[in-house]
Amino acid sequence: MNAKPTLRDRWVALAYLVPALVVFGVFIFWPLVKSIQLSVQGTDILGNPSGFVGFVNYSRLFSDPDFLQVLWVTFAFTVLTVIPSIAIALLIALLLQSRIRGVRFFRTAFALPFAFSVATASVIFGVLFNPASGVLNGLLSYIGVDKVQWLTNPDLALWSVSGATVWMQIGYNLLVLSAGLGALPDDILEAARLDGASGLRLQRSIVMPLLTPQLFFLVVVGTIHALQSFGQIKILTVGGPEGRTTTLVYSIYEQAFANNNSNYGYASAQAMVLLVVVLIITALQFGVLERKVFYR
Amino acid sequence: MTTTTTNRGGRSRRFRYAVPAGLASLSLVLAACGGGGDGGGEGGSSGAPAADVLDKASGVTTVSFWHAMDGTNAEALTKLVNDFNTANKGKIEVKATYAGKYDDAITKYKAAIQSKSTPDVIQIYDIGTRFMIDAKQTIPMQAFIDRDKLDVSDLQPNITGYYSIDDKLNSMPFNTSMPVLYYNKTLFKEAGLDPENPPQDLAGIREAAQKLSKKSGGPADYGFGAAIYGWLLEQFIATDGKEYCDQGNGRDGKATKVLFDQPEAVEVVKWWQQMVKDGLAANTGRDTKAAQAAFKSGQLAITLESTGQLGGFSKAAKEGGWELGAANYPKITAGTEGGPIIGGASLWINGEGKEDANKEAAWRFVKFLADPKSQAQWHTGTGYFPISKGALDEPIDVEYRKANPLFDVAVKQLESTKLTKATQGCLLGVMPQARKASEDGIEAALNGTDAQQAMTKAAQSLTSQIEQYNNSVN
Repeated sequence: MNAKPTLRDRWVALAYLVPALVVFGVFIFWPLVKSIQLSVQGTDILGNPSGFVGFVNYSRLFSDPDFLQVLWVTFAFTVLTVIPSIAIALLIALLLQSRIRGVRFFRTAFALPFAFSVATASVIFGVLFNPASGVLNGLLSYIGVDKVQWLTNPDLALWSVSGATVWMQIGYNLLVLSAGLGALPDDILEAARLDGASGLRLQRSIVMPLLTPQLFFLVVVGTIHALQSFGQIKILTVGGPEGRTTTLVYSIYEQAFANNNSNYGYASAQAMVLLVVVLIITALQFGVLERKVFYR
Repeated sequence: MTTTTTNRGGRSRRFRYAVPAGLASLSLVLAACGGGGDGGGEGGSSGAPAADVLDKASGVTTVSFWHAMDGTNAEALTKLVNDFNTANKGKIEVKATYAGKYDDAITKYKAAIQSKSTPDVIQIYDIGTRFMIDAKQTIPMQAFIDRDKLDVSDLQPNITGYYSIDDKLNSMPFNTSMPVLYYNKTLFKEAGLDPENPPQDLAGIREAAQKLSKKSGGPADYGFGAAIYGWLLEQFIATDGKEYCDQGNGRDGKATKVLFDQPEAVEVVKWWQQMVKDGLAANTGRDTKAAQAAFKSGQLAITLESTGQLGGFSKAAKEGGWELGAANYPKITAGTEGGPIIGGASLWINGEGKEDANKEAAWRFVKFLADPKSQAQWHTGTGYFPISKGALDEPIDVEYRKANPLFDVAVKQLESTKLTKATQGCLLGVMPQARKASEDGIEAALNGTDAQQAMTKAAQSLTSQIEQYNNSVN
């Protein structure tokens, strides 16, 4: 049906693409190239590249036992935030479908965390987690539980930070899932009901499959979001205790900017690892998960 | 039909996945490529200009000043800057800018070096001193002092000592603090301890903590508690007369390794670990605010903090209805020779790429900030230690210390400390990293790792960083 595009068409197409290409070029591709370049350079004390060092930064990275921990923490943090935040949001979204009084109030209330910036929410959680004067320990003391070191106990800190992150993430997830539920076609639900499906059966066999595009979207976006998380870690634990909450992005920050560091070379090598990790995970999600997605 | 749209939506989203890593790298690139030029020093920037350049200069010379003070400290500083500007109207104008907290200020300064836009005067924290020397951007204070044949005997030698190498002053100390031991006299009384006889060493703190802690029937949740703050370990090492890094605490040459895994330092960590294990000390983590809050609310009976906390603690004591005490920083074992190291920040005058008039104007400003009157005003407005001996005789200062008698503890502690390489403190290019590494070690120990093992690992983690640093500045 379409004729072969003429030369003029190609130029017009290119003209339309220019704005996007410029933005991508300046803010993504150029830094990417520059990062690759920095990652094979040493850095002097002022942060200037000090010459080509080959793969020294990379070999240092992979021989550093702390870096393995960083990767593990990043993985654990992602799992601990993405899955619960979607599961809880889904549960709330389903409950909000029921026709109870004041449902609009609850819908707003549950979606409210979305309106908080990470910094604000983190400061609030910092107050809640405070071992001496925090509300959490205050409540626990009523049932006789001794003071819990939410953020300084190495075995607990990541859970605490993840918990705070889940809270921050639920609002957005809830909005997406509620919108998805609201857009479910009545005729299909009606048909299912006529066939005798109800309750859990209806949710599992009809609603869930219809909701998979939204769920898939949240998994992909949530994973990337988790891999990028920084604010709550900086504010709540500064990567500690014992590096147990130092994720990849936080480690990049530490190497590049914290403690008078300016190891841009080493930090860039870590950024490259992050890029590869994100690419692999995303590819996996599209390769494996997307097949189960039911697009109408 | 809907199928296709959704699907296409899904595909176009793929583009986004390049974004996160791209963003992470973007920020690095922005920081690293600020100038991309040579930050190196051409000659002729490290000497003081002729003393009369300002008289010859026409118009107003503007001095840019970056500082790292906020809150009430910033208010006190602004007042001093205004006083200076009024006194030098038509000749010099200082423009003060808040450059963020210490770490941020030094990061910004690095970027400024690359883009050749450094301020005339910058306030840099104590542990950035070696870096500032190696960055080769600044004119040592000694050059100005020698030129003017200035009598500097008014400056506290134990404070200038930190910023001096071979008796030559590199930067002008400004806001200065010292660590002291704070204790809750009311809790001491309740536990049957003599409130006028606070502990002086590790064993003393332990003994007192046994009577003070809830675990052994005492009135406080924990007898002792301090933040996991590397500065405190540095202080213990110095009060024992030991050095923190080799090469005479980096004063004889560039230090090549840190020594916080030496037996005395490990002893401190072991003691701390045992205190936590026995329920006599709280582990409040690295956040200094957490330990402060616990002490203020009476959950801790003894803590270690900077003189800078005196105001906050006094206020909390008044509001909470308890009596605050302060004493010398504890020694590892009482009776050893040594004393604490001063902390805080100092002022550096940039010479590289600056006009002579600016250098001179900067020096006059720095000199103004260091004189007894300004220091008395600064001390009483902030609680920082005055660097000038004369400041202590200024009427407002005498009055201040009458109202805050505990501050005399710090004055006596400073004046009785013998200036040695140990009490001068360690000069190390990667001192901020070293401090953090020591915190890693202490934290691991408090959470159960063997103290020696934890500190050795932490010290070793710095070896390659120190080597890299030293190589890059030689």
